[in-house]
Amino acid sequence: MQAVWAQIDGIGKIVTTNVAYTVRLLLMVYVSIRATFFNQSQGLRTVFSVVSSQIYFTGWQAMPLITVLALASGGIVILQSAANLNLVGGAQMLGHILVAIVVRELGPLLTALVVVARSGTAVASEVGNMRANHEIEALESMGINPLSYIVFPRILGGVVSVVCLSIYFVLISLLGGFIITKLIHDMPFNFYVDSLARAVAFEDVWLFLLKNSFSGMIIFVVSCYQGLSVKKSPTEVPVVTTQAVVKSIIYVIVFNLSVTILFYLHQLSKMGVI
Amino acid sequence: MSQTFANRPIIKSLSFENLTFCYDSGSTIFEEVNFDFPMDNFAWIRSHHKGSGRATLLQIMAGLAPINSGKYLINEENVSEMSFEKFLPYRLSIGYSFGMGGLLHNKTLLENLTLPLLYHKLCSPEEAETRVNSYMQEMGILRYKDQRPSGVQGSVRKIACLLRPILINPQILLLDDPSLGLGQDMILKYFDLIQGLRQQGLAKHIFISTYDEKLMSLIEYREIFIDQRQLFSSDQGSEKKVVHL
Repeated sequence: MQAVWAQIDGIGKIVTTNVAYTVRLLLMVYVSIRATFFNQSQGLRTVFSVVSSQIYFTGWQAMPLITVLALASGGIVILQSAANLNLVGGAQMLGHILVAIVVRELGPLLTALVVVARSGTAVASEVGNMRANHEIEALESMGINPLSYIVFPRILGGVVSVVCLSIYFVLISLLGGFIITKLIHDMPFNFYVDSLARAVAFEDVWLFLLKNSFSGMIIFVVSCYQGLSVKKSPTEVPVVTTQAVVKSIIYVIVFNLSVTILFYLHQLSKMGVI
Repeated sequence: MSQTFANRPIIKSLSFENLTFCYDSGSTIFEEVNFDFPMDNFAWIRSHHKGSGRATLLQIMAGLAPINSGKYLINEENVSEMSFEKFLPYRLSIGYSFGMGGLLHNKTLLENLTLPLLYHKLCSPEEAETRVNSYMQEMGILRYKDQRPSGVQGSVRKIACLLRPILINPQILLLDDPSLGLGQDMILKYFDLIQGLRQQGLAKHIFISTYDEKLMSLIEYREIFIDQRQLFSSDQGSEKKVVHL
């Protein structure tokens, strides 16, 4: 019986730790937004210069990798879907399957993973090193709030980058993937576009934007938070960077999964199943 | 000029009231300290041994290290519980120079030094550059202005670090090991700059933490001594010190 209680205690501890961590993250987001909008000294120009460089590093520089990934995953999904649907005579369902897999799930998730790997690590180690080198304290001593100068622009730049990258991923995946498939499999372009157009609904756009904007926010909030958690030593930087990656991935996956579940429950309730 | 900067209060007094500060590790650096800081002059912060909290004391005074209990009073106002925005007018009156580090590594020395001037809109970008250039010229580091901190020698970084706080014309100047890694001629040049500011009525209250007795022998100062987690001023008699011990 004691072992069971110990297990329950363990689970409770994990839950409370994660809830406390999430509350701290939300608090940091609130304080950084508040600091940005209540700061009389910091002009929009300062924020936008950091936002634009963040978009350049996170969005623009990730495009080659996203292109390769989108072409490969799009090609595979289209090829497999078309081949299997043809076998069972359901080729007209191709659009629905592509929207369900690429637009709703693969696009947001793979883009988020690429951004975690490239930019989440960069931001966590950059902010961590700034902390270790007293750069954050230096900003404070100059009367510059690190939350409005460092954190907020990175979150905003990250959200914009992830949304744009994800749109780019979906476009390349669906169009580029089709071209690759065309080399192997004979499929009329008109049929393909028509099938996709019929499958995309207004809800898909909301789902897509919701998943991507929040994924972007999660990645950069977690990375900044982990970076700022460095106390003094540069040896802490690799540790917090690893934690930033692990926590970002977990939070993004849990968030995407929750949204997907809610979306399908909503669909089922609309159909009158539940 | 930003509204906050224009509304900087005139600092007349600094004091601690039952102030306690502990590191995250749990070690107590200051315990129930009651202290009125000597004003209107140079003050030398000293201790018998390293790690007694000289740099921490400067960080508390600069509002960079949150205290555990007690009060940090500026002009009799408790600033230890103020938000960043509320403390900002005081912060802009305090210049703090780090012992090591403190420069932004992704900016050039010029960008580092013009940052507070441009951020608080104290002058136009052209004026800021001219002002910084003249200080850098005076200290002999102008040729490094377009280099990043990682690309220059430690002494150049240290000078840039010392110049940055005086650019915003502070009333209080906190210098942590100002002569660390610098030659005697350099540090004397820097003190000439400070004397120039003092003649203009700026940098009235200067607190220096250093082991450089040669440097301090050239300055008229009052002493602040850290011992047994307490602060003592040079005009306090040894009897009072015994009470704290």
